[in-house]
Amino acid sequence: MAKELLEVKNISKAYTGVQALDNVSISIKRGEIHCLVGENGSGKSTLTKIIAGVVKADEGEIIINGRFYQNLHAIDSIREGIQVIYQDLSLFPNLSVAENISLNQMIERKSKLISWKDVTNTARTELKNIREKLDLGEKVEDISMASRQIVAICRALTQGAKLIIMDEPTSALTKTEIDSLFSVILDLKRKGISTLFISHKISEVLEISEKVTILRDGRKVGEYSIDELDNDKLIFLMTGKKIAYPRFKYKEKEHHEKMLLEVRDLSKRGNFENVNFKLRSGEILGITGLLGSGRTELALSLFGLNKADSGEIYIDGKQVKINSTQDAVKLRISYLPEDRLSQGLFIEQSISNNIIITILRKILNRLRLISNIKRENSINKWSKELEIKTPSLEAAAQSLSGGNQQRVVLARWLATNPKVFILDCPTIGIDIASKSNIYSIIRDLANAGMGIILISDEIPEALQNCNRILVMSKGRIVKKIDDASSITEDELFNIVGKKELNKVG
Amino acid sequence: MKKKIKRIFSHSEIYLFFIIIIFSIILTSINPSFLTLENLFDLIKSSAGMGILAVGFFIVLLSGGIDVSFTAIAIAGQYISANVLMATGVDNIYLAFLISCSVGILLGAINGLLISVFKLPTLIVTLGTLSAFHGALLAFVGTKAINTAELPDCFKVFGHNNIFVLTRADGTSYGLSVYALILLGVVIMSWLILKYTMLGRGIHAIGGNRDSAVRAGFNIVGIQFFIYCYVGFLAGIMGVMHISLLRYSNPMYIVGTELGVIAAVVLGGARITGGTGSIIGTLLGVVMISILEKNLVLMGLSSYWHQLFVGLIIIISVSITSYQNKRRGIRSLTFR
Repeated sequence: MAKELLEVKNISKAYTGVQALDNVSISIKRGEIHCLVGENGSGKSTLTKIIAGVVKADEGEIIINGRFYQNLHAIDSIREGIQVIYQDLSLFPNLSVAENISLNQMIERKSKLISWKDVTNTARTELKNIREKLDLGEKVEDISMASRQIVAICRALTQGAKLIIMDEPTSALTKTEIDSLFSVILDLKRKGISTLFISHKISEVLEISEKVTILRDGRKVGEYSIDELDNDKLIFLMTGKKIAYPRFKYKEKEHHEKMLLEVRDLSKRGNFENVNFKLRSGEILGITGLLGSGRTELALSLFGLNKADSGEIYIDGKQVKINSTQDAVKLRISYLPEDRLSQGLFIEQSISNNIIITILRKILNRLRLISNIKRENSINKWSKELEIKTPSLEAAAQSLSGGNQQRVVLARWLATNPKVFILDCPTIGIDIASKSNIYSIIRDLANAGMGIILISDEIPEALQNCNRILVMSKGRIVKKIDDASSITEDELFNIVGKKELNKVG
Repeated sequence: MKKKIKRIFSHSEIYLFFIIIIFSIILTSINPSFLTLENLFDLIKSSAGMGILAVGFFIVLLSGGIDVSFTAIAIAGQYISANVLMATGVDNIYLAFLISCSVGILLGAINGLLISVFKLPTLIVTLGTLSAFHGALLAFVGTKAINTAELPDCFKVFGHNNIFVLTRADGTSYGLSVYALILLGVVIMSWLILKYTMLGRGIHAIGGNRDSAVRAGFNIVGIQFFIYCYVGFLAGIMGVMHISLLRYSNPMYIVGTELGVIAAVVLGGARITGGTGSIIGTLLGVVMISILEKNLVLMGLSSYWHQLFVGLIIIISVSITSYQNKRRGIRSLTFR
C-alpha cells in the first residue's frame, strides 16, 4: 500500500475569469495531520471541494489510495474514504445523537427500513472508537458545539473515513472545547486516519499540525513540516509580506481627554460581569479575548441588542439607558456586526439602498418623502469616501467582494455620524489589502474625534490599531493594557490564552 | 432513571396530558355525565375525522412545510364520491373510499408537484390550492347539498357500524364506532412510516435541516411529493367518514375547519417551523380541541368562543416556539 493516502497534482481551476487555483499540489500521508492555511480567497475551499469531488478541476490529477482519478466524482471521493465536515456540520438538530451519527451510513446502504438497534450500536461503536462519551438519546440541538463536532466526526467514521477534512472547525468552540477536539484528532491519527485541518488561526495551526500547506491567491506557497515554522514565518508566508503597520498613537492633547463613554459595573448573567471601562474621544479601544469570553455580548449590550441586568452607562458624562437599537442610534452609537452577511447587510438590496438605510430620516424632502437629490448626494459622498469599488451602485450588495461589502456597512453607519463606533471583528474574511484600508479608515475616524471600540480576536490587529486594550475571559475583564505600545505580541498572546493552548497534545 | 423521567418531562405532550386530565375533572364536576364511557365513545367517533386530518397536517409540519388545502381535498373527495355513487347506483362503501382517496391523492399530488418539483413556498401554494380545489369542486361538480334521503345507504350503514355494542340499564344500546379502528389504523400506519422507514426519517431530517438532508443524500423531491399525496389520501378517508357521520353532504362543509386542525397539531407540541412533534401529541391536541369545542356550552360560553380559543392557541403556540428560538439565538448571538 502506498504511503500517500491522497496526492493532488498540479490542480488548476478558474471561475469565470478568476483563477481560484493555479497549479496546486498537496499530498497527505496516512495518519497525517495536515493543515491547509491561507487567507480568505486563497483557494482553500475550492481545493477542498475538488478533493471532495463536488467541484471539477480544470487541470491536474488526483490519486487516492494509489488509484488515479482524472474526473473525481463526489461518490468516488466518499467511497475512497474522504469525508468533509463543513463549518455548519450538516447535522439534524431535531434528531438524536445516535441517529445523526448513523443516518448517512443507512442512506448510503440504501436501506428502506430502520433498525433502531443498529442505529444505537453504530453510534456506540464509533463513539467508543474515539473514546468519547455522549448521551445517544439526546437531541443534537441540546448539546454543545463541541459535542456536535464529535457527532459529525463519528458520522464521518461510519462511512469508513480515511481522511477527514475539517473546514474551520474551531471557529465556534471555546478554548477547552478546542483542546478536546485536538485530542480527538490525535486519536484519529493513532488509528491511521488522516486529518486535513483548514484554519486561518496561526496558533492552532502551529499546535496541531505535522505538515502545513500554505496557499496564497490560488497558488501554493509551499509545504512545510511544522518545525520549520513559527508564528512570524507563517504569517509572512500566508500574506506574502511582513506586516509592519505603524502602531496607532492616541493624540491626547488634541482631544482634551473628552470622555465619550463610560461603563460602570455592567453585568449580564451568563454573559459578562462587572465590566468597567472608559472611552475617550479619539481613542481606539481594543477588546480581545477568545470566543465565548463575553466580548460580543458586551458590544451588543452597548448597542441595545442584549440588555444588561445591572450597571450604568454614561455618554458624555450623562447616565443613559440603552434598551433598544433605536436608543443606541439616538445616542449616536453605531455597531458593525461580526457577521456582515446575516446581520449587517441587506444582501439582495442595492449598494445604494444599503448605504442610506440608516439615514432615511435625514434625506426626506419637505413632503416627508425621500428626496432623490439628497439620496444621491449621500450615496455619492460615502461611496467616494470609502472607495467602494463597483461598476454600479445599483448592483446588489452580494455582488461585492468581502472588503467592499464591509465598506458598505461602514458607510452606512458613518452616515449616521456616530460618536461611538463599535466594530466587531471588522476584518474577518477580508483580504489583506482591504484590511489595511479598513484600518486606515478606522484611524482617520479616531483622529477626527470619534471614540472607537475595536473587538478583535486577532492579537496583531488589536496591537497595531488600538491605544488601549482590554482582555476579556469568561465574561470578565482580566487585563487592562493602558498603553498598547508597551506590550509585545507574544506577551499579549500569553495573556489571552496561548499558554493554555500549548498544554495539549 | 432520573434522566429518563427528566426526558419524559421535557416533552410538551406530558403537560398537555395533565391539562386534559384537569380539564376533564372540572367538566365532570359541572356535569357528571361527561366522564362516562358513552360520552367517551361519542367523542372518539365525532373527532376521529379531525384526528386523521391532524395526523396528515402533523406530517407536513414535521417536514417543515404547511398545508392548508386539506379541507378542500376532503370535501372534494367526499362530494365527488357521493355523487359518483348516486349517479352509478353502486351502493358500496369501499368504492366510496376508493374514489374519495383517489381524488385526495390526485389533488395532493398537485400540491406535491408544485412544492417539490417547482419548489414553491408551501403556505402560498396550499392557500392557492385551497381556493382552487374548492372553487373547482363548486364550479364543475356542483353546489347542491345531498340530503339524507338521497344519500346511498352504504354511507348510513357505515356511519352506524360499531366494533362492539354495550347495553344501558333501560335496554337501549350504544357502541364504539368503527371510526376508532380507522383512526387507530391511520395512526399506526403513520407512526410506522415516521419511525421505521427511511422515508419517515427523511421527513424528520428535512424538517430539521433541509440543507443537511440534501447533503446526506435524501431524495427531497420524492419525500415531499409523498408527503402531500399522503395528506391527500388521509383527507380522502376523512371525507367519507364525515359524510357517513352526518348522513348529509354539503360541498360548503369542512372547508373553514383548517385552523382547528392546525391549532390541535401545534397544541400537541409540533413546532410550526418543522422538525419536532409527535403523533401522540397531535392526538392529545385533537382531544383537547374537541373537548373544548363540545363542552363550551356546558361551561356557559357560546360556541363562538371556540373560534377565539383556536386563534389564541395558534398564536400562543407560535409565540412559545419563537421565544424558544430567540433564547437559543441569544445563546449563539444571532438576532431575529
